Amino acid sequence: MGDRPNRGRAVTRGLEIPREALLAHTLVALADNLVADFDVVELLTLLADRCVDVLDVSAAGLMLLSPDGDLRVMASSSEAARVLELFEVQSDEGPCVDCFHAGQPIVNLDLDQATDRWPCFAPKALEAGFRSVHAFPMRLRQQTIGALNLYRADNGRMRDTDVVAAQALADVATIAILQHRAVRDAQLLNEQLSQALNSRIVIEQAKGVVSERAGLDMEQAFARLRRHARNHNQRLADVAQAVSGKALAVSSLDA
Amino acid sequence: MRNRLTDQGRLDDSHAVWLPSPAGPGAATGERQVVSGERRLRIIARLADRSGGAVGELRLCEVCRDVTGLAGAGIMLLSGDLPLGSMCATGRLSELIQDLQFTLGEGPCIDAHRLGRPVMEPDLAHPAVRRWPAFSGPAIDAGVRAVFAFPMHVGGVRLGAVDFYADHPGPLTDDQHADALVMAGMAAEAVLSIQSDGSTGVLDTDIERGSNLQHVVHQAAGMVSAQLDVSVAVALLRLRSYAFGQKRLLADVAADVVARLLRFSEDDEDN
Repeated sequence: MGDRPNRGRAVTRGLEIPREALLAHTLVALADNLVADFDVVELLTLLADRCVDVLDVSAAGLMLLSPDGDLRVMASSSEAARVLELFEVQSDEGPCVDCFHAGQPIVNLDLDQATDRWPCFAPKALEAGFRSVHAFPMRLRQQTIGALNLYRADNGRMRDTDVVAAQALADVATIAILQHRAVRDAQLLNEQLSQALNSRIVIEQAKGVVSERAGLDMEQAFARLRRHARNHNQRLADVAQAVSGKALAVSSLDA
Repeated sequence: MRNRLTDQGRLDDSHAVWLPSPAGPGAATGERQVVSGERRLRIIARLADRSGGAVGELRLCEVCRDVTGLAGAGIMLLSGDLPLGSMCATGRLSELIQDLQFTLGEGPCIDAHRLGRPVMEPDLAHPAVRRWPAFSGPAIDAGVRAVFAFPMHVGGVRLGAVDFYADHPGPLTDDQHADALVMAGMAAEAVLSIQSDGSTGVLDTDIERGSNLQHVVHQAAGMVSAQLDVSVAVALLRLRSYAFGQKRLLADVAADVVARLLRFSEDDEDN
């Protein structure tokens, strides 16, 4: 029901490419796009387009969490206004928001039955010609960064294999985005990592110094360092650095 | 937990259903050139796989091992030429490889990190060029026959190295080499992306959990620095040379110091 209906599937049928091969090809294309300096929006647009080609859906879109904390549409398989509007309205309510907050997929949701749940979104989606909606979280470890949203023009159910495939596509996109952020901020992140690792090392060294000088076990030594830092409104890492570098004598720590 | 790996080291979980058939360790070398995208994808599919282990559990080292089909893998974080500790290791031997390098300050990860290129030792017992005189003996005794290390870098940023070992001598196949190379780069990206989850100045719990940052060694260095009235850097050197002389792991010697079973003193030349 998108403005480019059956685009991919017609090709698929004509050449009789098995869906699995097309999906494999899509994943490879996505992974190829991850090399070097890829553009995130381009990658997500590719993903949205391929979702329509490969999965039995009419439109697809990806929403990502913006720095302001809102979900924003980043890519859509259709530029038709009625479709884009469906993503925009979801900054407040809808399957992407619910899926994003729960971190769980929403599958085969009949829009006819959803007007109570989403009074604003559901009528708009029906009006745009869609009958059912699906959303998959873009999630890795404790971090959820967005959701993949799929629409069908009929209320037929998504096949189980398509459900698994959709989540796999969302997972690949998630890793792509997180790794991209890591690459972009590599210098800064590495400095933060080294700093964090070094702080840990210095704290352990200081515990050893205090333990030896004051005859305490490591736990007691740590408590003494922490108490001194709190009492003097200093960072633990700074107190530890001073103790380990012998700029601050153990005898002058608050007991 | 069900075993998700077949004997070829391939995944048999749901994500792998659509993967191009991997030219894994069993495939003839050079028979098929696998594009970089496919390699990255195989790694990504494993990293993204939710079917094994607890949600949120990081399995970087397992993915390193599985993607190459080698016996084990470990990730060592380094800063300058100094090993900061082991981020993960797949098993006892990989742990030992990391501990030895941490104890001795020599080994494949340290060289790969320093040189910024892969370091190969396909026959540790009969090397073409003899290197790592202290590392090799104990590693061979434990059953390590070949070691390969790949630097982890993102652009010009170096984080450490991934080491792989085999329990039989022999070079990596072209495919294994290419997979390991891509894997090391992705591991570097993954480490940074994990750290980006955490707050500034604090080590992310996902890195801290499962890693061996050798806390006991730094505690012992602090104690010895007080015992000898020297800097912690000098104290660490003393601990290292003592461990080397006693043919023990640094962590074990350090544990004795922390337990007050071992003291260092100025006039004790043995220490």
